[in-house]
Amino acid sequence: MKNTNLEKLNSAQAQTKRFGITMISPTVLVLLVMTAYPLIFTVYYSFTNYNLLKVLKNPAKFIGLKNYIDLLSNTYFRQAILNTVKFTILAVIFEMLIGFLMALLVNSLKRGQKVMRTLLLLPYLLPTVTVALSWRMMLSPNYGIVNQVLEALNLPVYNWFSDIKTAFGMLLLIDIWQSAPFVFLLLYAALQSVPQSQYEAARIDGAGALQTLFYVTIPNIKNSLALCALMRTIDSFRLFDKVNLLTGGGPANSTATITQYIYNFGIKALDFGFGSAGALVMTLLVLFLSSFYIKRAMG
Amino acid sequence: MKKLFALILTLAMAMSLVACGGSKTNEPASSGSTTPAATTEPAKTDTPAAPTKMTLILRAGTYADVIKECLPAFEAEHNVTCEVQELSESDLYSGIALDAINAQGTYDLCMVDGSWMAEFTENGVLANLSELGYTLDDDIIPATTAICYVDGDVYLAPYYGNVTVLLYNKANVEAAGFTGDSIANLDDILTICKKAQADGKKGFIFRGDSQNNLVVDFLPILLSFGGWVIDENNQPTVNSDAFKKAMNFYLDLISTGDAEVKDDLIASVDTGAGTMGVGWPGWYTPTADTTADYTAITGVASAGDQAYNANVYGIWTIGVPANSQNKELGVELLSYLMDKDVQKSTVPSGGVPCRYSSLQDADVLATYPQYEVVCKALEGGMYRPVIAEWTQFYTILGTEMDNIVNGVKTVDQGLADAQSQLESLMAG
Repeated sequence: MKNTNLEKLNSAQAQTKRFGITMISPTVLVLLVMTAYPLIFTVYYSFTNYNLLKVLKNPAKFIGLKNYIDLLSNTYFRQAILNTVKFTILAVIFEMLIGFLMALLVNSLKRGQKVMRTLLLLPYLLPTVTVALSWRMMLSPNYGIVNQVLEALNLPVYNWFSDIKTAFGMLLLIDIWQSAPFVFLLLYAALQSVPQSQYEAARIDGAGALQTLFYVTIPNIKNSLALCALMRTIDSFRLFDKVNLLTGGGPANSTATITQYIYNFGIKALDFGFGSAGALVMTLLVLFLSSFYIKRAMG
Repeated sequence: MKKLFALILTLAMAMSLVACGGSKTNEPASSGSTTPAATTEPAKTDTPAAPTKMTLILRAGTYADVIKECLPAFEAEHNVTCEVQELSESDLYSGIALDAINAQGTYDLCMVDGSWMAEFTENGVLANLSELGYTLDDDIIPATTAICYVDGDVYLAPYYGNVTVLLYNKANVEAAGFTGDSIANLDDILTICKKAQADGKKGFIFRGDSQNNLVVDFLPILLSFGGWVIDENNQPTVNSDAFKKAMNFYLDLISTGDAEVKDDLIASVDTGAGTMGVGWPGWYTPTADTTADYTAITGVASAGDQAYNANVYGIWTIGVPANSQNKELGVELLSYLMDKDVQKSTVPSGGVPCRYSSLQDADVLATYPQYEVVCKALEGGMYRPVIAEWTQFYTILGTEMDNIVNGVKTVDQGLADAQSQLESLMAG
């Protein structure tokens, strides 16, 4: 009798397990087709001299680590890595800081929260191409409003995207302008979930604004902060469209990012083998940076 | 219930897999009307045959606009509908290349930059037009057909006569005591630009936004100094004395102005904020009333120096992809677009045919006198190097030139670095 019950239980468990596997199998299948398959091919191509047009006449050849050696010994690739890391660090810091301040400000408003929320979100809702072209018009050395205002104030004007001193800063500014609202949105949602009782308790205990911020608000939203930082790190690291539209990586490679390098020296010339090696190096770097957040902050 | 749900899910997955992996052999059946047989043999039924769909991949801008305005007549005559994709230069290149690897191509007519010719023909991207019965006629300016042949067979037809010209602001040039016609050499250009700079305006404007633009804007200057980027054996010659002289002169010239994107360059010269820059006829249509005009670059560095051929072609050619599903129709469309009268009809819309019958026509010249300059430039132009590695070549050279222009490297250092990288590129 006891054995029969055990068998029944095992059978029910196996059935549940099978059902679970069936349920996740569509997702696994999509992941295999959309992620694993391209990844395997990217790894494979990175060891070949695959060129999209040349393979029409001659098949790609296995060239071992040549693509990786060429890549890592290339001065411009190393410069692109440095630019990307610098951009990512600065962008994430400023976006987190500004987004957090915006969230605190809107959350503290007694009236007009909805209006402010909508207005502050607008830059994030715009397509990147629109953002890039709008800024290009505003910063145009000919008819741009920014230079006209500066001239009217007798201040020096710049050729913002062609000057080695200003191009990187401008890209950073545009990215912060567009992406800080994303941080604001996530942190604002997180702030709404902080229990009011904790604020009341802090107030009764005589905590000041800064103490409340550091001992109540931040500990309550630290997971959201980590998630935001993780998402912005990954996104900033993949920066391409703004660079490609506004500077093309110039002047003098001062704004060249890893993706822009891969595009210029791999994809544009249809050298997908070389491009695949670059993409894998970038993936490893993103994984390295992301693992820091995932391990330390998200447990 | 769970079993039933699991069964439905499995069935759905199986169906999705079958749908995603649909055999290509089914495609011709579903698009049967686009096969060559179907297009050349009209359906023998009482009801009119459904129009054949043709797809054109073109360079956006005036280049595509003038073709689009000619299409309705061809569509009506041949019972076809034409879908036109208008793309930027880099997207056009990758669009044609990405489609070339398919057995059955999407495009029936493509616009090709002269500098892609070697790579495309070497890898069998383009159809042999001679085999399809097309020949280039004598009315086409001979120099423009230089890259259209491979082993005596035609692969491309020169459609839009883009050639580098010197775009200038009339008032700024006159302020320096010159006119467009009296700019005899590069020293005159530098004098005009320095005068403009002294007057608080920008002198020479160049495009510094991509490696390709940096190189292309510089090539007429390099040619005027008797230099070139490769020798007769396709070996790089960017570390030569002529290249260094040209680069040093270019640095002087661009120090009078600014790096700007194309639209800013045109606006700058048009408003007079900038004085001149290297441009293309397709960018600007000068008339008697416009503030800007263009003139051919003479190819002379200083007074008394040898005159070199310094006009660089940016001709947009048209061809038929080798994997087109409607090759015969594609060639018919190409022949129609290359027709003398059809080409002449595009002139009022900004078309620049590579034909004497258009560019030397008295009526055309009466309205558009600048076509005389264009004709001369086209008669003695140079194509960019016809090498399969041109994309990588200009990327490397442009990157080093960008470093020089921005003071990150000296001329000697930058050109030596470019030379060594280009040598290893060309060595394979």
